[in-house]
Amino acid sequence: MIQRRSFLGLMGAATAAAGTGSLVLPAAAENKKHTIALVPGLTTDAFYITMHRGADAAAEALGQDLLFQGASEWNVTLQVPVLDAVIARKPDAILIAPTDKVQLVEPLKKANDAGITVVCVDTFIGNGVFQTGAGDADFPISYVASDNVLGGVMAARALAQSIGEKGKVYVSNVKPGVSTTDQREEGFKQEMANHPDIEVLETQFNDDDANKAAAQVQAVIGRVPDLAGVFGANLFSASGTANGVKQAGKQGEVKIAAFDAPQSVVQELKDGTFEIVIAQHPAEIGYFGVVAAYAHLTGNPVPTHIGTGFTVMTKDNIDDPNVSKYLYTG
Amino acid sequence: MSEPLLSIRGVSKYFGGVHALEDVSMDLKAGEVVALAGDNGAGKSTLIKAVSGVYKADRGEIRLDGTPISFESPQQARDRGIETIYQDLALADNLSIGANIFLGREPKRRAFGFLPVLDRALMADAAQETMRRLDFHVDRLEAPVSAFSGGQRQAVAIGRAIYWNAKVLIMDEPTAALGVPEQRKVLALVMALKEQGKGVIFISHNLGDIFAVADRIVVLRRGIKAGERVPAETTSDEIVRLMVGG
Amino acid sequence: MTALSSEAAPPPGRTFLSKVADLRAWLFLVILVIFFETWAQTVYGVTFVGNTYNLQSIGIFATAPLLLALGQTFVIISAGIDLSVGFTMGLAAVVSAHMANLGASHLGLPPFLSMLLGIVSGVAVAFVPGLVNGWLIARLRVPPFIGTLGMYGIARGAAYLIAGGMTVPVSNAWFAWIGNGRIAGVPILVIIAAVVVLIMHYMLSQTRFGQHTYAFGASRVAAVRSGINVGKLTMRIYLLAAVCAGLAGALYSGRFAAGAAQAGEPLLLSSIAAVVIGGASLFGGSGNIAGTVAGALVIAVIEYGLVFINVEPFWQFIAVGVVIIISVLVDQSQRKLLGGRVDE
Repeated sequence: MIQRRSFLGLMGAATAAAGTGSLVLPAAAENKKHTIALVPGLTTDAFYITMHRGADAAAEALGQDLLFQGASEWNVTLQVPVLDAVIARKPDAILIAPTDKVQLVEPLKKANDAGITVVCVDTFIGNGVFQTGAGDADFPISYVASDNVLGGVMAARALAQSIGEKGKVYVSNVKPGVSTTDQREEGFKQEMANHPDIEVLETQFNDDDANKAAAQVQAVIGRVPDLAGVFGANLFSASGTANGVKQAGKQGEVKIAAFDAPQSVVQELKDGTFEIVIAQHPAEIGYFGVVAAYAHLTGNPVPTHIGTGFTVMTKDNIDDPNVSKYLYTG
Repeated sequence: MSEPLLSIRGVSKYFGGVHALEDVSMDLKAGEVVALAGDNGAGKSTLIKAVSGVYKADRGEIRLDGTPISFESPQQARDRGIETIYQDLALADNLSIGANIFLGREPKRRAFGFLPVLDRALMADAAQETMRRLDFHVDRLEAPVSAFSGGQRQAVAIGRAIYWNAKVLIMDEPTAALGVPEQRKVLALVMALKEQGKGVIFISHNLGDIFAVADRIVVLRRGIKAGERVPAETTSDEIVRLMVGG
Repeated sequence: MTALSSEAAPPPGRTFLSKVADLRAWLFLVILVIFFETWAQTVYGVTFVGNTYNLQSIGIFATAPLLLALGQTFVIISAGIDLSVGFTMGLAAVVSAHMANLGASHLGLPPFLSMLLGIVSGVAVAFVPGLVNGWLIARLRVPPFIGTLGMYGIARGAAYLIAGGMTVPVSNAWFAWIGNGRIAGVPILVIIAAVVVLIMHYMLSQTRFGQHTYAFGASRVAAVRSGINVGKLTMRIYLLAAVCAGLAGALYSGRFAAGAAQAGEPLLLSSIAAVVIGGASLFGGSGNIAGTVAGALVIAVIEYGLVFINVEPFWQFIAVGVVIIISVLVDQSQRKLLGGRVDE
């Protein structure tokens, strides 16, 4: 009766890693074509473009229709109208990267009330713990994302190693209140607590402005000339910090761990701009998001949290195809 | 009898079917103040706009110094020496007297022998000289005109006109927005212009002002010239009768 | 003939007060520098302002917002606003990165010429939003807030499309040198900004274009009746703002070795704040380049200084907000007291 396809092995492995039991995929024999919509945080970012590719691959393999609709900017007031328009088209499921934990609850509840299955990808609403019967934001069936705390931990480990397990570091972050970057910072600090000779200084928030991130690292170096490393919690934080380090004449002395991996990081790892790059696996997020929605629509249980992995990139491994395949592509 | 400075002959202006002006004629000599009186909608502003290049008359002829004129724009009228001073003055409040006088045709000089820059010294000198001609003394020449009172600003607007050698000044309700002392000063300015040989067309609702400065009074009613009087030979009552008809 | 007396002269002391008010941004700057110097000396036993490194860092930091603010100064003096400069900068950054790459890969140009091609293309592409803004505002009489908001969206979309949703890396040693190099210890970015400041100061204070911008901002009617072609003037003002943003975008690509569509977005509000702190009124008619320079430096010094002395980051927002409000209050009380402003 149940016809397993080749990708299900991968699926099982992923769900096992998330510790939530098995995800059983139903027969394609049912042959009903569902419409699944993916609403990204923003449409213009390589991360979400790569996620879209992964979602497309899953939809195609499962014979489902995929819609991709979003705003060009990370902004609640732009995302909600797009979401409303998507709901009006009555898809069977919506995969969404909510741009705010709180403000997207009501708009998504409308979808849920209309019988549309909701899956959160990359970011979440409420506290990200779903199907508990508690609170008013537990209705999404699953949260599929990189484990950002783990990402922060991995960045901390790699950075600690490259600075020789001692010295002062800080986190260059976008702004407080963004679930993913907050979690990366949390994981980074959590792991650094295990490295007694490393001191974590005050976090600097740059509003996603590379110019400001650069000035901040220059100011920190002005006060703390022996700064050893910086964790850039997103791409602009990292590239701005890298430029500030260069302007301060400290390239190579202050090591930078960057988060996210567009194609340009290859060059930046090779020329020493970045010491470490933590790549998420956005294609996996899109892929598993579609699979989870499909499983639920066909009456199968779905884990409430699916965590996808990371790849640590350095100049030594970036030419390895098993590593470079995780670069984001537009 | 000398040739009139400005001669308006049989001018008509229609807007669709409305006769805003019908066959109006009047003269203005150098050193003369002619008051235009009339109720709202009598055609005063249509007439001055026909003279100052805002409108083109549909019929009739306007001569300046004996030469027929037909302007495409207010700028052309200004270039020929016809300046209009509007009730709202239209000064750039944030600029000095000199800068207002020269607005749109600022003088330049060369700094360091090559770099063209605004010649502020020339603008300030011209401002001082012009204001002196109006018996208006200022020593804060770089102050913005917003720092000055209504009458003083009126003087700036008039000064701008006379600096550019206007022969004909059209003044639209120059006293309307002013207090009594300031009104007197503006009337004094009008007399000063007359003494300097300018021709002034003076529009006002205030018959007291009109009788104080005008050499002749032209009354318009519903686009038609209702009459022309010399102040010494008429009364306010007669002018009002001409304005309202009957 | 009745004399119009010399009471025409404004009250004495006005000049001194208005000069102080005009220089308030520089006054803020001095106060801030004293504050940070005292703090740094007391708590860390180091100098803040006597340190060349800090001055260089602040100079680099202030460059991009200042370039946007310089063009914005003309726009605000003309009683307008240009909300599109941030994404015009992003568009220029992306285009200049692409063109510098293209120059090397397809045209076989040497790095120096590729860089020039990149910079010129970035500035040139900025003409498009500048001219469209000017056309919308001057010819179609669209309010500047609306017209440039529309262009904000269009420039953003175009920038993201051209970038393909990514940053556009550019590898060019000359371009990187422009963005990161120094001459006699002075960052090249700062030298470029200084040259642009001088040109803008000249244009605003010494040309008819500048003079007409002031007049237009104070009274459109006055400008029109003086025979100024206000349509052409408006086009030029918005074009200038866009060109400044274009240059900022091109320099961004050199500095960060990549063009990013969102490069200028976070700078829009800083650039407007710099102009306002510098003494311009959003109602038009007042402002000057020296003030804008001080305004941009005030913001840069606050944001840099607070990190330098290790103050909780959120104080930055509060501090900039407080300075803007004080600045506007000073401006208003000055208007009340003095009834106006001088023309430069």
